[in-house]
Amino acid sequence: MHSKKLLTTVAVAGALSLALSACGQGSSGSSDGGYEPPGNVTMIVPFAAGGGSDIAGRATASGLEEATGKSITVQNIDGGSGAVGYSEFLGRSGDPSYLLATETAMLALPATQDVEFTYESFTPIMKLGDDYTLIVTKADSPLNTCSDLTDKAQNERTVVAISGATGLDNITFTLMEKATGATFDRVPFESGAEVITAVLGGQVEAISVNPGEVAGQLESGDLKPLCAASDERYEYDALKDIPTAKEQGIDVAFAQFRGVIAPGNIPDEAKQYWIDQSKKFAESDAYKKYIEDNMMQPNVAYGDDFSAYLAENDKELRQAIGK
Amino acid sequence: MIDNLMLGLETAVSPENLLWCFVGVLLGTVIGLLPGLGSTTGVAILLPVTLTFDPVTALIMLAGIYYGSQYGSSISSILISTPGDSSSVVLTIDGYQMARKGRAGAALAISALASFFAAIVSLIGLIALAQPIARFALNFGPAENLAIILLGMATIVSFAGENILRGITMAAAGLLVSMVGVASGFSTARFTFGSVNLLSGLDFVAVMIGIFAVGEVLHQIRRGGEKPIRAGFRDLLVTKEELRRAFPSTVRGTGLGFTVGVLPGAGATLATFLAYGVEKQVSRFRQFIGKGAPEAVAAPEAANNAAANASFIPTLALGIPGSGTTAVLLGAFIIFGLQPGPLLFQQEPDLVWGLLVSFFFGNLILLVLNLPMAPVFAQILRIPYVYLYPIVLMMSFIGAFALGNNMFTLWIVFFSGLLGYFMKRFDFPAAPFVLGLVLGPLLEKYLVQTSALGNGSLLIMFQQPLSLILTLAALVALAYPLIAAVIRNLRTRRADAKQRETVTH
Repeated sequence: MHSKKLLTTVAVAGALSLALSACGQGSSGSSDGGYEPPGNVTMIVPFAAGGGSDIAGRATASGLEEATGKSITVQNIDGGSGAVGYSEFLGRSGDPSYLLATETAMLALPATQDVEFTYESFTPIMKLGDDYTLIVTKADSPLNTCSDLTDKAQNERTVVAISGATGLDNITFTLMEKATGATFDRVPFESGAEVITAVLGGQVEAISVNPGEVAGQLESGDLKPLCAASDERYEYDALKDIPTAKEQGIDVAFAQFRGVIAPGNIPDEAKQYWIDQSKKFAESDAYKKYIEDNMMQPNVAYGDDFSAYLAENDKELRQAIGK
Repeated sequence: MIDNLMLGLETAVSPENLLWCFVGVLLGTVIGLLPGLGSTTGVAILLPVTLTFDPVTALIMLAGIYYGSQYGSSISSILISTPGDSSSVVLTIDGYQMARKGRAGAALAISALASFFAAIVSLIGLIALAQPIARFALNFGPAENLAIILLGMATIVSFAGENILRGITMAAAGLLVSMVGVASGFSTARFTFGSVNLLSGLDFVAVMIGIFAVGEVLHQIRRGGEKPIRAGFRDLLVTKEELRRAFPSTVRGTGLGFTVGVLPGAGATLATFLAYGVEKQVSRFRQFIGKGAPEAVAAPEAANNAAANASFIPTLALGIPGSGTTAVLLGAFIIFGLQPGPLLFQQEPDLVWGLLVSFFFGNLILLVLNLPMAPVFAQILRIPYVYLYPIVLMMSFIGAFALGNNMFTLWIVFFSGLLGYFMKRFDFPAAPFVLGLVLGPLLEKYLVQTSALGNGSLLIMFQQPLSLILTLAALVALAYPLIAAVIRNLRTRRADAKQRETVTH
């Protein structure tokens, strides 16, 4: 009984002193004009190590490390197409020492599944850029343009591979169907690598992938681009000759965004702190290298601009795949 | 070819590259040894550390972690029945039985030798035939992969022990548990009861740690009072007889592992299960398998390492990852500004060949490390159970926490541990359960894909020559043991009847 009481006292005292020291740091931070994370920062990546989100998360973490001088640990919490990581992040509400490497799953999950969050549950910090998709087919395919593909799909059974129900490729093909009245038969795979294997093996007619994923196969001539589902042509040398879908008369452009978010309900100065640090990161060579290595479009947006972009993107996405 | 090898040799033997190759395989062994921390996670965690290196040095080290962990993960399977990685689950059967009979040192030595043999042979295959093999493997679409998974399911009989019905029941239970989570190809959640943690299903490695490690500890506690295995140092060395028995199995395991590893859809774990199943059918000593046979250690171990090397074939020749770990390595290529794809061999010859030649040195280092260390590692079993079991439990839970970074994974381990205990207590075989659990998601995925490809019909499995052959093989493999059992049953009945007749007359 005594010992229990003692324990409680110690615990309360400990908690108090922690709270006090946190206050102390908070006030010392605000005295020179804003928030600064008191200790280490954690960057949650809601997908497994090695994928596109992981590469983005690690690039951002090391860029922000450089900008802030703080140490930022990357933590992969994967599962449920990202749902597990986002839900874990929801539990960090109000704690600005957590960040999350976000992408389209933040919008696609609430649109298709019963999850407890929407993009409004979090604080958007920085949009890193856009990753559009290319529609590609096997080198010896008789198809040469996306209109060839949709013409074929209007008349006969045309099989395409998708990397999951909430994948960017499923959205792109759905938008193409809506724009042209064609119908695609979808075979569901589970990753970009699997759909590339399927089109190389001739099991499916066409796939829609991020250019960074197929640059090697395009250069070697194993795969042939049909069109880019982007607003404008790419400026990269390897991709600049690929016409957009719009040029071929199909008005479809949809990008996956990548970015960083902080938990919801964080103080305004913390939000401003992360936006300022992100701006520093965007000017670094590391940022340029990341964008170029992955053949993305460096369309950045910060804070409220990023929120506005998300609202617009969410509307489009729900029209395409919403339940 | 020779020019390329010389170029690779030049790159691989530079002191710096040799050093990091050594560091890589050593780290890999440790990572493999720890339950839960597999090669995929290991490579991903250490990737940022290598960012300041030369690309080729970094990749040599990262690849070293990959195949080093294949050696390491078998050690804990054999000694304490705790698989370090999913591909060494099968070793917990005969490897652990050998250890319990005081042959732990021998089992470890056989596993190291089989690994080395398989690694070198598959490496030669990789160097000589990467491009044509990779092209051929592309013919394996959903229908062919579905047939291969069915072949894998057919090995249940080999793991069922004496009672086939119990084996099939456990496999079905494994399949059922694998259904938890979001359905393949759709966004509907099944059996998740509203829990976000269950959306991605029960982590297979966590279930495995529970059933094998925690279950075994609980089981031993109930039996209680058993003395630690006290084998003399001499008993720990592998005998000539054991090596002779293990050799043909190693060759078979290597061939099987290489074939399965090249395919984009299968993987090292399936290869080990298939290798075990094949041994159970064709080995001269098949009646000993399951009770601590060197064949059943050598074959899966060889298959595991051959499959790991073979997964580099699609990775390097086509730029498509052949396994989870090579997927992370492909990510590393991009971070280093290299373009993975079919042109990699031409554009970066010193990198590709340097990497491949480094495999030779890495595996040699592993053999030199593991072979003399086998008797030393086996001494772990001399630790009294009062100390050993708490350590095993602690390692299991730490490993499980590393898997998901959350408490939920620990609960999975806890409950699977109870399940594993009751399975041992009432003699339900664990391996078919694991088989169902591993193959379940793959079976579902390929079933959905095949059906989508065939416009709702599975008949396309019989329409292409390759899938036709594989499907027929799978059907025969599934039906054969049942038919054989029925025939055997009839024969004994007839013999009994005859005997009764002669008695009455």
